[in-house]
Amino acid sequence: MRNYEIMFIVNPNATEEEIDKINAQIESIITSGGGKIEKIEKMGKRRLAYEVDKQREGYYVLFAIVANGDIIKECERRLRVMDAVIKYITVRTDEEVRRLEKIRSYRQKRAARRGSGAGTKPGPSAEEAMQ
Amino acid sequence: MRSAKEKRPAGQKQYYRRKKVCKFCVERIDSINYKDVKLLSQFVPERAKIMPRRISGVCSPHQRLLNDAIKKARNIALLPFTTE
Repeated sequence: MRNYEIMFIVNPNATEEEIDKINAQIESIITSGGGKIEKIEKMGKRRLAYEVDKQREGYYVLFAIVANGDIIKECERRLRVMDAVIKYITVRTDEEVRRLEKIRSYRQKRAARRGSGAGTKPGPSAEEAMQ
Repeated sequence: MRSAKEKRPAGQKQYYRRKKVCKFCVERIDSINYKDVKLLSQFVPERAKIMPRRISGVCSPHQRLLNDAIKKARNIALLPFTTE
């Protein structure tokens, strides 16, 4: 199981209920496949950077999920089929999260060492010069 | 920092190049996320091309992450591929 983010753009002419319906459908695909939903975020209407399906605006929805490849495949298939969805993207996030954790722990370790050690030069300038 | 008008012997070209630093290293920005349009758009000038490292001064690991993020953002219409 891996962490993914699915982001899709719904046609801005779709009503609130239609968007909720799409969300519910995607949700059911994920949960029935054994995945877990961490977050559903309706990011609202935004201007698109370029025209998609003759639309200049779109309603962005973001799903943060834990799933496997089969679930993602099915989700993408369904999103492709839906008329109201004009664009979607799936991004894997677990690697990024792990990378950030590593950086954080490294920083903490360094801060602890500096605090407990000599501690004569607590200025950030020395560290910045090293980077 | 701007001492561009320092007096130099005549004949020598007056160049002052400010030392470029990687924004992400200095400000300790760890995550370069494709959703963060505000951050990414700083590195996408008018023609919507990705700003080269020699101009922005971003270090190579961060430029790589930045490239990935910008390309993802383009895919989902958060950033333009080109200007019309």
